[in-house]
Amino acid sequence: MLVQSIITNGLAVGAVYALIGITYNVMFSASRVFSFTAGSVGMLGGVFGAILIGQMGMPVIVGFLLTLLLGAILGIVIEFVTVRPVLKSLDQHLYVLSTLAAALMIQQLTAIYFSTDAVPFPRVVPIESGFLDQKIWLPILACVGTIVGLEYLFRHTLVGRAFLAISEDNYAARALGLPEQRLRMTSFALAGMIGVLAGFSSGQLMFASLANGPLLNFYGFVPVALGGMGSNRGAVIGGLLLGLFQQTANYFFGGVFSSVAVFVVFIIALLVRPEGLAGAATARRV
Amino acid sequence: MLLESKKTGVGTGRFEAWLPVLLLALVGASLPLWGDSFFGLVATRVCIYWVLVAGLNLVVGFAGQLAIGWVSLLTIGAYTASALAAGRVTPEIPTFFALGAAGLLGAVFGLIAGLPALRLRTFYFAMTTLGLSTIVTQIALAWKSVTGGGVGIPGPSMPVPLDSPWGFYFFCLVLALFVTWMTCNISASRYGRSLVAIRDAEVAAEAVGIYKPRLLMAVFLFSGALAGFAGGLFASLQSYITPDAFTFDLSVLFFIAILIGGRGSILGPMIGTAILTILPDFAAPLVQWSTFLYAVLLLAIVLLVPGGIADLLDFKNRRPLDKHREIRPRPELLGQILTAPRKSELRLQNIVLSFGGVRAVDGVDLEIHTGEVHGLIGPNGSGKTTTLNVISGYYTPQEGTVSQDGVDFTKEGPHTRAAHHIARTFQTPRLIGESSVLENVMIGGNIDASGTFVESLLALPRHWRDEAHLRENAMAALTIVGLERLAGVRADRLQHSELRFVEIARALMMKPAFLLLDEPAAGLSVDEIKRLGALVTAISKQGTGVLLVEHHADLIFDICDRVTVLNLGKVLASGKPDEVRTHREVVNAYLGA
Amino acid sequence: MPTSAREPLLAVKGLSAGYGKIGVLSGVDIVVYPGEIVAMLGPNGAGKTTLLKAVSGLLPWTGEVTFAGRSMAGASPREAVNAGLVHVVEGHRIFTQLTVEDNVLLASYGMPRAQGRKQVEEALDFFPEIKAKRHDRAVTLSGGQQQMLAVTQGLVRKPKLLMLDEPSAGLSPVLVDRVLAAAAQLRATGTAVLLVEQLIEKSLAVADRVYALTQGAVALEASAKEPGLPTKLERMYFGQKDTPHLA
Repeated sequence: MLVQSIITNGLAVGAVYALIGITYNVMFSASRVFSFTAGSVGMLGGVFGAILIGQMGMPVIVGFLLTLLLGAILGIVIEFVTVRPVLKSLDQHLYVLSTLAAALMIQQLTAIYFSTDAVPFPRVVPIESGFLDQKIWLPILACVGTIVGLEYLFRHTLVGRAFLAISEDNYAARALGLPEQRLRMTSFALAGMIGVLAGFSSGQLMFASLANGPLLNFYGFVPVALGGMGSNRGAVIGGLLLGLFQQTANYFFGGVFSSVAVFVVFIIALLVRPEGLAGAATARRV
Repeated sequence: MLLESKKTGVGTGRFEAWLPVLLLALVGASLPLWGDSFFGLVATRVCIYWVLVAGLNLVVGFAGQLAIGWVSLLTIGAYTASALAAGRVTPEIPTFFALGAAGLLGAVFGLIAGLPALRLRTFYFAMTTLGLSTIVTQIALAWKSVTGGGVGIPGPSMPVPLDSPWGFYFFCLVLALFVTWMTCNISASRYGRSLVAIRDAEVAAEAVGIYKPRLLMAVFLFSGALAGFAGGLFASLQSYITPDAFTFDLSVLFFIAILIGGRGSILGPMIGTAILTILPDFAAPLVQWSTFLYAVLLLAIVLLVPGGIADLLDFKNRRPLDKHREIRPRPELLGQILTAPRKSELRLQNIVLSFGGVRAVDGVDLEIHTGEVHGLIGPNGSGKTTTLNVISGYYTPQEGTVSQDGVDFTKEGPHTRAAHHIARTFQTPRLIGESSVLENVMIGGNIDASGTFVESLLALPRHWRDEAHLRENAMAALTIVGLERLAGVRADRLQHSELRFVEIARALMMKPAFLLLDEPAAGLSVDEIKRLGALVTAISKQGTGVLLVEHHADLIFDICDRVTVLNLGKVLASGKPDEVRTHREVVNAYLGA
Repeated sequence: MPTSAREPLLAVKGLSAGYGKIGVLSGVDIVVYPGEIVAMLGPNGAGKTTLLKAVSGLLPWTGEVTFAGRSMAGASPREAVNAGLVHVVEGHRIFTQLTVEDNVLLASYGMPRAQGRKQVEEALDFFPEIKAKRHDRAVTLSGGQQQMLAVTQGLVRKPKLLMLDEPSAGLSPVLVDRVLAAAAQLRATGTAVLLVEQLIEKSLAVADRVYALTQGAVALEASAKEPGLPTKLERMYFGQKDTPHLA
């Protein structure tokens, strides 16, 4: 039972990290920008769910759709306010500062208007399954659903291919007449939806909590950095492994050890291979 | 003539350089006259934060490394000082020694926190410092025997007479003054310029011999030590510390104070620290909103005033420049800084370099002699710039060697070329826009100076000698390229053609045996190209070997002693200009027959 | 032969453009008439590519650009494409991770689906060897095939003016002929072509008119058939001082 609990918990937590990793990737692919907001948007998924369903008493499905909508709007606002104005000087890395500012604002507003403590998340599915609790399979389902959805988007729709084109060669895509700005905005809306989905689906596992923001921000970034930026496969595999490792270490050695271990592995891996374990070497400098 | 140009107010501004120290001393020392004890408490906190921020300023504001989690070092310093003074690890230790230990441990962890910056860029590094601060807090909570866990421990108490609020305040103020003075010294030294160079023009910094890892390590040690020491003082001020005291909001305050203040400034971040620390204290309803306000300020700064407070205060650079400026080089003065290097040759043998299957350079042989202008031409994509980058060490070729008089340095990094007196310019001028023209040129003399980081920190005699020497040479170099009038102007206010000549002046500072010019005539007017030609010829007459990559055929055939033509990564022809110009294959390569 | 009495398709007047502080073009005037092939020649660094990028909206510029009777001031690349001005950028920058077909389909982005499909097929017909590989990933194509794919992308929208930037770069002579022949084929359908090239003789063979650019300004405008043109160009490339002796 213990092994099973470690594995199921690990996979569930890992699925959340993977979703945040994908959130990073979707924004990065469209804009070459890493955004500090990924974790905070994830955190908001839980908060929105807790407010809309738990406190306001909306039906689950309405609350869920509204959460997704809010995530999309948030993504667009982030793109418009913190990314678009600094894209012209991408090499100055101003986006690190502007997205950090946005993340801080989200965190602070949540602290003031919601709560600084963890708030329980309502049950989402009314039926009970005998084998696994919904707090375990919901995030995993969300992760699988997101991957399948993205796969369909990229393989079978023209918009999806346009995303891929922009992410591979922005200049050529613009020359070809692709509406780069609109596609980038759409990407950020999509990233916002995936982010809140992560928080919503893991609401019962991790609660609606302000502290999830920085936590998800870091643990969602680890698989992306190690798996190579822009690679969703890397984010998913890395995220799941990270979740399993954390749960195991948590159980046997305690939480502090697992945090320190993840951090040390993260730093060493990046120092050895700054482009990520699966990433390609960087381009010319001169 | 040179004397005259020295007088033309380069804005060395001794007064300006010491303004932060003076201001802090005046306001700080007079505080007891106009402020009550509450003021004193807040001012003490400002001083302590400033000790940390002044060090962090070198990391963030000067070197441009986005260290957002510096509160971790404050935490480490605070717990070290408290635990040692309270005798939780060793027998009780006197407070000053405990503070010293906090500084020491801070330095060690500053280095550890900074190490990732040697390889990782911006967002990644920001993330690692963020991760570190989370972990340090977790450890502080868990390591109960030393830190007291969530319950906390008392901070170190100061000995008499520093135990009174005003006594402690003056201690912190003096320390803050000392730290300000040190960072002012660094800022006005070659180390300060080098830090800004790796922030804004990393590639050019390497070309003048600045070795980023060593420089950053020194700065991280220094900044960590200050943060650790500040942590000890912070614990003493709080008189009792728990992990709750070290919120991420504090990190944000430090970081944003610097950005609001302005990168590369000391006065700006100092004012920034004061404002951000005082604001919530004097507007109680704001406390809850303080982090939100910081974030708004950060966003506003990034989007609207990237230069921060320092930019708003920079009146000097708002004076309009003369619109009709001419670059009038004076090659006859070259002897002032260039002494004929001994005869030598730079030799490339069978260089092969592929990028993902494309052989950009495919077996190139090239010999450049001192005292000669050697032209390197060829169609787009023929491998000219790549060859140049192999010589200056940005690429390591898969085959072949680069050597000077038999000394092979093919595999050494770009920062080693300066010691061989191989200088270069870039296709797109790589200068530090926020620094003055003179400072940009002084960067070139980096290897010429001998003072250490600590000597500059404490303004010891060698620091002054270096500075005077570099300044004099840089003025001479600027006079030679004809830009001495613009010495005090921010480089980003110059026209494109002027930037090209500034790059040449910077290269001249390296007393080059070989000078590699990458399309120096691009974007220049016909007259300017003529003057450039005369200058390059004069430089070679002084004994420097020049490698000239150029598209302007006129210039190449006018001033080159030898010309090598590349096509598809191979040498197509090499010889005297006239031979090359009539070479059938060369003509074909150009005309595509 | 086009005459000045006809209304130009593309009229560029006093165009200046560059990268940040670096001015590359200053006061360029050119015109392209409907259905002609114009070759834009000039040494490296003369500003040919910059000119195309400015005209297609990839770079900011000052001056006047009129295309098909409409001012292109402030037009984005997308608006240019929609107006019938298509730019095939240099270096066959196709999307290597997508299939050949998807690459071509992307050029029809925003068109009604059925019409897009139809024009994609018509564009693919230009180069049978590209059509044969439609389901392969573009990364598997050779350099020459990638260039053909890039030109195919440019054809999908049936542009009024197709601007090709160095389509010959890195291609074998046979392939160069194929690509340039496609340009001639296009002219037959009424499409004008503005061709930036390094290969002078091959460009002169297909072009109606020639501009030569040096140092960011038009140095020469001539009919492609003008006698002695190659010699003139050669002088331009190698400086004016004395005539090179040709073997």
